[in-house]
Amino acid sequence: MTSCRPGGAMPARCAVTTSFKPELLLQPGTVVTGKWNGKKYKLERVLGAGANGQVYLASVGRSVCALKIGTEAAELQGEANVLASLDGKERGRGRPPFLLDVDDFQFNGRALPFYSMRYVPGIPVRSYLRRHGGQWVGVIGHRLLERLAELHEAGWVFSDLKNDNVLVHDYGRVELVDYGGMTAMGRAVRQFTEIYDRGYWSAGSRTADAAYDWFAFAVLWLHATDAKRLFQLSRSRLPQDRGIEDLMKLIRSNPKLRPIEQWLGKALRGQFRDTREALKEWRAAHRASDAAVRSRIPAWMTGMLVFSAALCLTLAALWLF
Amino acid sequence: MKQILLITDGCSNVGESPVTAAAQAWAEGIAVNVVGVVDEGSIGELGAREIDEIARAGGGMSRIVGSRQLSRTVQMMTRMTVAGTIRQAVNHELQQLFGLDSVGALPPDKRAEVVRVMDELEETSELRVVLLIDASASMKPKLSAVEEAIRDLALSLEARTGSSAVAVFHYPGEYGHLPCALDCDWTRDAAGLPALFARIRTKGTTPTGPAILQAVDFIRQTCGKIKEEWDDILPSGRGDAGEVRSDYVV
Ligand SMILES: Nc1ncnc2c1ncn2[C@@H]1O[C@H](COP(=O)(O)OP(=O)(O)O)[C@@H](O)[C@H]1O
Ligand SMILES: [Mg+2]
Repeated sequence: MTSCRPGGAMPARCAVTTSFKPELLLQPGTVVTGKWNGKKYKLERVLGAGANGQVYLASVGRSVCALKIGTEAAELQGEANVLASLDGKERGRGRPPFLLDVDDFQFNGRALPFYSMRYVPGIPVRSYLRRHGGQWVGVIGHRLLERLAELHEAGWVFSDLKNDNVLVHDYGRVELVDYGGMTAMGRAVRQFTEIYDRGYWSAGSRTADAAYDWFAFAVLWLHATDAKRLFQLSRSRLPQDRGIEDLMKLIRSNPKLRPIEQWLGKALRGQFRDTREALKEWRAAHRASDAAVRSRIPAWMTGMLVFSAALCLTLAALWLF
Repeated sequence: MKQILLITDGCSNVGESPVTAAAQAWAEGIAVNVVGVVDEGSIGELGAREIDEIARAGGGMSRIVGSRQLSRTVQMMTRMTVAGTIRQAVNHELQQLFGLDSVGALPPDKRAEVVRVMDELEETSELRVVLLIDASASMKPKLSAVEEAIRDLALSLEARTGSSAVAVFHYPGEYGHLPCALDCDWTRDAAGLPALFARIRTKGTTPTGPAILQAVDFIRQTCGKIKEEWDDILPSGRGDAGEVRSDYVV
């Protein structure tokens, strides 16, 4: 391999711009035909756009999938590689593959790379909680931690965990999207979002470990229940002053998070043995808070209880004697 | 891999042209990226053109952003330059070996293999970044954002598997006889960065070109031979090209 320097056959400028040009937005109804594998996809609508591509809902015959179209083949292939590797590890669990196809298609004279994946229904956590109420935090968090535990056990860290990437549907079922940031444990996290990033809050390194995801998981609940104050805080603090304690103050003064206050503190500080333990304690914290709710039974109901207990005793007395 | 990342807010006004200086850096295997920071107003047509041209000549890229986006931009550029350098080297090799113009021309299964190697290189290759900071008077209110961006970059680099280090210079230098002054020698971890710009007195001139050349000298003096480093980074040298082939395309 020759050195990478100018002159010779090498162009003078690194062609590294990967941002997706908006004019490449494809119209619904466009048919995408894979150059190598020949599969045909009909684009239905845009699902979302990100740093290195656009995601469409597409139909293939009578089934649907999500299609991510980019401009930089190597970038998209990198994501596809991660998905393929994850699918390989998860086949044992009887889980259907997430990655379906990797290919290119010809558009306006250029080859655009794409991959197709399982369509994930649902809406981001924050919207879900607004629509269905804060009582869903426990279930959603439980399912999300379970998913994270699986990834961690397979040697991956999701890293770009955030509201947009956690989709919730039917009674708190959770799925992750955007595996582009997924990083092998011990490697450097390359894709993250400032307010979710442990490094940004001076709370640790950007080396991928399970605790990196716990941190983002904790911030997710602040974002989902108290976005305004979270963004205000991040704007108002000087970088050298930002720290876990700032986030803890927000948590302590947020009634919706009171039951999991201690749990969140441990997550921010990375104080679980592993993600299974984090899950166990998450569950315990929510059970305890349910119990607290139960013990705060309204007076009229307590009255009813006393009444029915009395009734019971009376009946028992009648029966016995 | 060696990079110079220039952070400035306007035009150079002393000494050799920064465009020529950047071209010289690139000729020596050092990519030059440029971030223009503007908070109020615009950078002006002249400034914008200069920034663009420095990056073009320097084999890098340029962006004009507000100080809020600085951290993000610096990270993105550094990473994309590493990825771009690897991609270029790989594309070059594909061209030589198979007459293909890029990774995208490979069929998906082969592409998967090649990209796996590229991602591995992106994480493990050695990386040196000199941050060259314009500290002329107009930059004063932006220096704290610059410092944050540098710390943030160091934090990201410290997590890489490959050996990574940053060094920081500002220009103009304090004593007049050198275009820029060293604020921090090569450091591998964010904690090793001292308070950077607390004591500097910002001055009027903006010797961007001479400062770039001094940064190039610094890299040459401290990093040994630059041109041959690809022979070390990539799995195999030219001598046994047959094995390179099998490494990339099975
Ligand atoms: N498999 C999927 N099913 C449904 N929606 C998806 C899927 N993948 C991505 N999306 C939507 O598209 C958005 C952008 O996709 P993403 O992969 O995050 O792109 P980028 O990595 O460029 O940000 C996501 O936030 C999500 O709303
Ligand atoms: Mg995304």
